[in-house]
Amino acid sequence: MKTGNRGQVSTTNLKRRFFLWSAAILIGGGLLLSALSFWNTRRLLMTEAMAKSEVILQEVEAIRSYVKKELRPKMFELHGQETFIIEAMSTTYVSTTIMERFARAMPDYIYRRASVNPHNPRNLADPFEEEMLDWFEQDSTRSFWQGIVRKKGKAFFISMVPDYFAPACIRCHGRVEDAPQSLIDRYGDKGGYRFKAGDLAGIDSVAVPVSASLKEAWQGSLVIFFITLLTTLVWLWLFNLLFQRLVIERLGAMVSIVSEKKEGEDGTAGPGDELDVLNASLGSLRHYVHSARKGASLQPNFIGDYVAVQPIAAGAMSWLYSGYAAEPADKVALKIGFNEVMQNPLYRACFETELQLFETITHPCLPKVRERVADVLVLEEIRGRSLLTLRQDHRMDDQLLAVFSQLCDLTASFHAAGVVHHDLRPQILMLDEDQQLQLIDMGLASTDRQQDPIAAAGLGPQGDLLYMAPEQIQGRRGDPRSDIYGIGVLLYLAATGHLPFAEERKSLQQWLQQKEKVTTPRNYRASLSLSLEGIILKAMSYDIKKRYQWVEDLWEDLNNADRK
Amino acid sequence: MRLMIFSDIHGNLEALQGVLADAANRNVHRRICLGDLVGYGPYPDKCVDLVRGLKNCRVLAGNHDVAALWQTSPYGMSSAAKEAILWTMDQLSDASKKYLAALPDRLDLADMTFVHANPYNPRGWRYVLDRKHALRSFAATKCRNLFIGHSHRPLVIVKKHLLAVEFQTVAGSMQFPVNDGKRRIINCGSVGQPRDRNTKSCYLIFDSRAQQLEFHRVAYDVEKTARAVHTAGLPEVLSRRLLKGI
Repeated sequence: MKTGNRGQVSTTNLKRRFFLWSAAILIGGGLLLSALSFWNTRRLLMTEAMAKSEVILQEVEAIRSYVKKELRPKMFELHGQETFIIEAMSTTYVSTTIMERFARAMPDYIYRRASVNPHNPRNLADPFEEEMLDWFEQDSTRSFWQGIVRKKGKAFFISMVPDYFAPACIRCHGRVEDAPQSLIDRYGDKGGYRFKAGDLAGIDSVAVPVSASLKEAWQGSLVIFFITLLTTLVWLWLFNLLFQRLVIERLGAMVSIVSEKKEGEDGTAGPGDELDVLNASLGSLRHYVHSARKGASLQPNFIGDYVAVQPIAAGAMSWLYSGYAAEPADKVALKIGFNEVMQNPLYRACFETELQLFETITHPCLPKVRERVADVLVLEEIRGRSLLTLRQDHRMDDQLLAVFSQLCDLTASFHAAGVVHHDLRPQILMLDEDQQLQLIDMGLASTDRQQDPIAAAGLGPQGDLLYMAPEQIQGRRGDPRSDIYGIGVLLYLAATGHLPFAEERKSLQQWLQQKEKVTTPRNYRASLSLSLEGIILKAMSYDIKKRYQWVEDLWEDLNNADRK
Repeated sequence: MRLMIFSDIHGNLEALQGVLADAANRNVHRRICLGDLVGYGPYPDKCVDLVRGLKNCRVLAGNHDVAALWQTSPYGMSSAAKEAILWTMDQLSDASKKYLAALPDRLDLADMTFVHANPYNPRGWRYVLDRKHALRSFAATKCRNLFIGHSHRPLVIVKKHLLAVEFQTVAGSMQFPVNDGKRRIINCGSVGQPRDRNTKSCYLIFDSRAQQLEFHRVAYDVEKTARAVHTAGLPEVLSRRLLKGI
């Protein structure tokens, strides 16, 4: 759709809103992405550190267990119960010594045996370890702790397990008098004593430094954030451009139409954006149409010597209004082109064709033309109601032949004159109480005397797809057999009170598929004669060659059919 | 659908009325007139009026119609025809002239084509009476049935194969089945001036369902028309032609 140049229109509200919202969403998305990335990297890091520290702790526990269960009993056996060789019999000494050597090869793994009252002052707990010892002491069921701790400006992942004194440990850690002399000689008699079995001996901890890895994770997240920010800016620019082209410019053109009037009424801009303006305008338009239909609260429109009162029906290109002549007083109908039709040269050509056809073709089923006033055609009064009221069990029974004879005769006249109507539907066929049929619209008709603007412009299918022949849906125009299809659908409706297809929004392809499979009329009305059903189905044949080739043939069959 | 095809009325009101009355009893749905409403005959304006008022009727332009409007020169015609055209020009009303001026040269309808003389050069007015012109006409169209007039002689030309055609003469009222899928050129004869030594008016009905051509000959008061030709001051040869059917 071309919008044309309608001048500069203020479209900042919607554009700004769109920009701010899309920026917030994209930047928020970037932040979330980088946070998620950091969290995931940290999680992986923790899992890895936990696995490593668990291995070290298991190793220490194995050493201690070996000293306790293998070495110490053997030493007692060899040297007697009174002997205590620290280097071979102290679990703490052996384990810390081995782990010190291990730490020389693997400096990233720091093993500590800490106690508030150790034999060896080197194992004295630091403030953090003291806190953790308290924590373990508060609840003896606590058997493990892990976490990140900052020490001297560096982050460590620390795993801790508590160690409780067994009865065998009390010899060295109970009363000083009972302790081996070698122990007192080495560490003195101050620290490491006065414990009972079951007391918390200390904590074994493994610290894995994670500062560098966390820093890398943080940097990675920052990189992701900045890349996202950069991409966001590019996307924002593209979105903005696209939005400007696809929405803002078109919307601006539409808004300018309504704002022309608004400016005249009130110079100040109202709250809300352009869509609010359009919404308000559509609301007032709906109110206007509603009022126009009711024929109330509006001044009558004067067209020449005629007054348009209220719309009777909408055709393809025009409204049909009821009206009256001022002098002499007489009721008339006025065919008035839609505004958008009058502004579009292509549709205007179609409307002009329609007016010419009304003026040149004379038939009892066409309202007589009284005169033409500029672009308005003044027709004789239209009586009756549209065939649309046939719907839902209001089928025709007795008057079917009378009505369809008129319709076939009219269509035959069209076809004989080289005119194809293309849009036969109940909304534009009026039936009065004398069973006189009137066709009130020919907006999509084409004639072989002049070029068809719709076909020339390649506009594709125009009209109501429900009543449209398959070849018309495929874009073909000018074949009289398309009108025969339309009559077939009308006949279906009149005979059964039901439409052959569901009135729902479908793609052209879906319509074509549906037109290929018509529900037989006797599905809706079992009493329908086979001959009439045959006529309807033949008229509605998907294959144009299997359809009635001439409307007169259909008419003749209808005359001869059993219409019950 | 039953389609009445008639041509070459040539201002012969008696003949036209007779033909229309005959066709009215034969369940005709549409009518196509292949031109030459005027020329030769004494009632050109009335004939135009009558044809113009016919329901479901399409009309094509013939050589006499365009000559009567000075769209082509009547001086290329035979002496009698020229004199008749010059006389006709004075008889036609403005409405009739306007109507004749709007007539098309050719009409295509489903698998049928209609022209006054021939489809390959409609305004050249060549007769299609021999193999050469028949083949040219077949080549100029894609339709199955081509309906023509102009020669005033009813005729059916069947295309046998690429270079062969068969001429089937039409003697009186006759019926021809056309359901064999072959291509045909059908000349519907003349209403107002038959030239096949039969004074009766000739017209044609094509029944699309039965796939049948029905040629009908209708008698009319030839002598009355001959007198009218004389009274109008038209060349005497024209009344003699009517009386002899030549």
